[in-house]
Amino acid sequence: MPFKLTPQPFKAAIKEVEVGSGEKAIKLGGEKTFPFYTFDAPMPNAPKIGVEISDLGFEGESAGIKDFYGDVTNIVEMAKKAAAMEGADFVVLRLEGADPNGANKSVDECAELAKAVADAIDVPLAVMGCKNDEKDSEVFVKVSEVLSGRNIMVLSAKEADYKTVGASAGLAYGQKVGAESAVDINLAKQLNVLMTQLGVKPENMIMNVGSAAAGYGYEYVASTLDRVKAAALAQNDNMLQMPIVTPISTETSTVKEAVASEEDMPEWGSQETRAIDMEVVTAAACLASGSNAVILRHPESVATVSKLIKELM
Amino acid sequence: MGRFIIIGERIHCISPVIREAMNTMNPEPILKRAKEQLDAGATYIDVNIGPAEGNGPELMSWVVKLLQENFNNVPLALDTANKAAIEAGIAVYNRENGKPIVNSADAGDRLSYLDLAAANDAICIALCSKGAVPGSLDEIMGFCQELLEHGMMLGMDPTDMWFDPLFLVAKGMQDKQQQILDAIKGFSDMGLNSTGGLSNVSNGMPKELRPIMDSAMLAMSMANGLTSAIVNPCDRRLIETMKSCDILKDNYMYADSYLDL
Amino acid sequence: MALTGIQIFKLTPKKNCKECGSPTCMAFSMKVAQGAVGIDKCPYMSDEALAQLSEATAPPMKTITIGAGEEEHKLGGETVLFRHEKTLVSKNLYAVTLTAADDADAKLAAVAKVDYDRIGERMYVELINVKYTGEGADAYAALVQKAMGANRTLVLECADADAAKAALAVCKDGKPILNGANPDNYEAMNAIATEAGVTLGVTADTLDALYDTVAALEKAGNKNLVLDVGTVSIKDAFSKAVLLRRAALKDQDRTCGYPSIVNIGELAAGDPQLQAALASVFTLKYGSILVMEDMSYAQALALYGLRQNIYTDPQKPMKVEPGIYPINGADENSVCVTTVDFALTYFVVSGELERSGVPCNLLISDAGGMSVLTAWAAGKLSAGTIAKFIEEHQIEEKIKNRTLIIPGKVAVLKGELEAKLPAWNIVVGTTEAVQIVKFMKDYK
Repeated sequence: MPFKLTPQPFKAAIKEVEVGSGEKAIKLGGEKTFPFYTFDAPMPNAPKIGVEISDLGFEGESAGIKDFYGDVTNIVEMAKKAAAMEGADFVVLRLEGADPNGANKSVDECAELAKAVADAIDVPLAVMGCKNDEKDSEVFVKVSEVLSGRNIMVLSAKEADYKTVGASAGLAYGQKVGAESAVDINLAKQLNVLMTQLGVKPENMIMNVGSAAAGYGYEYVASTLDRVKAAALAQNDNMLQMPIVTPISTETSTVKEAVASEEDMPEWGSQETRAIDMEVVTAAACLASGSNAVILRHPESVATVSKLIKELM
Repeated sequence: MGRFIIIGERIHCISPVIREAMNTMNPEPILKRAKEQLDAGATYIDVNIGPAEGNGPELMSWVVKLLQENFNNVPLALDTANKAAIEAGIAVYNRENGKPIVNSADAGDRLSYLDLAAANDAICIALCSKGAVPGSLDEIMGFCQELLEHGMMLGMDPTDMWFDPLFLVAKGMQDKQQQILDAIKGFSDMGLNSTGGLSNVSNGMPKELRPIMDSAMLAMSMANGLTSAIVNPCDRRLIETMKSCDILKDNYMYADSYLDL
Repeated sequence: MALTGIQIFKLTPKKNCKECGSPTCMAFSMKVAQGAVGIDKCPYMSDEALAQLSEATAPPMKTITIGAGEEEHKLGGETVLFRHEKTLVSKNLYAVTLTAADDADAKLAAVAKVDYDRIGERMYVELINVKYTGEGADAYAALVQKAMGANRTLVLECADADAAKAALAVCKDGKPILNGANPDNYEAMNAIATEAGVTLGVTADTLDALYDTVAALEKAGNKNLVLDVGTVSIKDAFSKAVLLRRAALKDQDRTCGYPSIVNIGELAAGDPQLQAALASVFTLKYGSILVMEDMSYAQALALYGLRQNIYTDPQKPMKVEPGIYPINGADENSVCVTTVDFALTYFVVSGELERSGVPCNLLISDAGGMSVLTAWAAGKLSAGTIAKFIEEHQIEEKIKNRTLIIPGKVAVLKGELEAKLPAWNIVVGTTEAVQIVKFMKDYK
């Protein structure tokens, strides 16, 4: 009596969201199964990888990252290299410099840079902020405006600023808006409801439901991802069917495993390898639980995760 | 578990407006009532065309096409004593959003409606009665077993039979209500789906009392495992109760706006 | 899990012969489900149906015990597919492969190097996968003997009967796994494993063949098995791992209800980073034993952290030990900072303090593993508990500095603390961890 293989695709599907335009536009989501359950039904779109660069350059980054970008100091040139990185599907420009407690770059300066980057690369662009909600919403509005119709991803709208960000990025300027919550599935759903009520169409929305480095409360991330996908697919909850984009490197690059120097922790070995392994392991875990895209920094992490995705598709 | 399923009951030939629309094949009143019910939270729409002895097949297929074309292939419950009409309705039915429901079989004269459902891969409401009001829980469960066996022998999936415990009016039959809840629990324990004309419980009560009585019965029934009900979805209190119970049963993810969804 | 009347009915012959005394098979099935009559009243139940019924009360996934003494481990016994449904019970174990081609001493020394404590859990490579590569039975037994010196439970990856026998003669008391049965040799391997009293690993290229082989082994009376998902491809191994676990737990097919072995080292040979990525995937999706080529500290730090998170009991928060945690080379003159013992809070706060570069003594008191506000609300973090901690841990004798920074969220404790600890200067810190770096730098 052979094994009874009963494909168990769901009737419901994750919504398919297209980002960017032209040949290298990417599609996120669309699947009717848990991640990589290709024995149930094919996954129409492989999960994607975004490469994160900062508007402050790569000060403090590891040798491997600096080697990859070489002597490039101009952010636009960096973005081009990131776009050409093996395994990269989109570029994520992190506008850290906007931070009022940091470089405090002006909104116009940020928007100008985003435009220059978008013009220079052939892959889709995503922008992240500086974690200052007030400044971020101003920056996102302006960036969305100058890149009107370019179909970029704006990461992200939060409970505090979804009205401003949602209305500009999602409604006025035709971008894709991320709704960000921190491992709170009820808030994740509520934000999607609120943005929908604002008039943003579901196919213009994605979610960042929160992330954490492996070992640092990652169980909450795993369960949030699992539950979002179960609700979306098994319960056909259309307010949780948006694809999920998960920033990885911003979480993993600050934990002890990645920042402790070799002098301090001689038995731990290469600091760079540790940082890569944290990034790779966390990204793989998120993909296994349903992230439709992950955002990474190190070229080796990008190559490895890209290989993992190809093998599992 | 999936979310609770509301079968909207307002397209019924007993309503003069609907009867007239059906007689003249006038789409407007039917579409209006369907829209109201869908907006209010109905998943299925029940289409009761009455006995329709003359033009049953023609009328049913007309209503099925009318509703499905206008409302994104909304799933329907086909409700008539005219079996040919049900078959004609299923023949033009689009299953994209759910199988058709045959409303209904019972353990007596209407047992053969199960055969009709089985032959057409439809869901069938299975009323646990043989015409009269069942006297005891054992009697209800006995009918359930008969219906289940009949359907399964025909190759039906047990979950495609939605068992109806026969909701009874509370005013006058208060002593029977617990037995209905116990029957629902019995269906649920066997992993079976269930449904019924729940608002029957408040029949004959002053209009202003009906929503709270229906809501209370719905909450108690859902706690015991009821998976669907044939009700008026425009009763806001009832629908809000249903949505709240769905959250409490973990059938649906909570969000602050859950009542709006 | 008991079967419902409907499930039993599906197994009956549906003849309605009445020989059981019930009018119909359905009525009979309902009575069986209620325990009112025994299934044996039906003269027409097939053996297969009867076997299925008796299995139905067994747990859907078996718990397999391997190893002996301190190195005893449990595998399997899961009841749910996702950790949010119920606690996962058996964390995945790691193995590193040793072959005759390796410098055994160097490899075992490298394995021994990764051995540390993380929030009360020992993190180390629990198993050595000794792989037979045709070196002959005696040489293999000698290699196994050597591996035993590592004081780890062994997995014998060996499909050769003679080599397996020779190896088990050396190591069977340590209750290793003999991972070597396949559709061609399972009868011989079954005899060897049963004789030695060890768990048998089974593999096959296709799921069908694996299923049939497991069924045949079960029929021969061996249910002490683990299923190797093989090395056909990464995609194939993932499919097998998921399908087996799902069939066992969701579809109640007990032939699939065994722990799994995933040989990641072979699936991604020579690529340690891809191995780390795969180990992460299989930690979430149903690998019980993950075999790696090596386990570097870099891989271990990430993978064991992940595993610890995933196998955490959601009912029991992870706690760190109360005590003094010096940060950035703090000494007795460095400022004191306090927060709760909830592991996540500890990690975030200690990480930010480290990033600030300011030497400080982090004082962790017992707050029941709750976050700051929850602990405060529950009375587990109060002026009283902090003062008691300072007394019991003899902080005033160990540290000369008399400034204590408290979490901003419990600023309300300042006054009371000043009353209880008159020698101390109580400073209210930040409400959020992200502000710590700036706060500490400014403070300094």
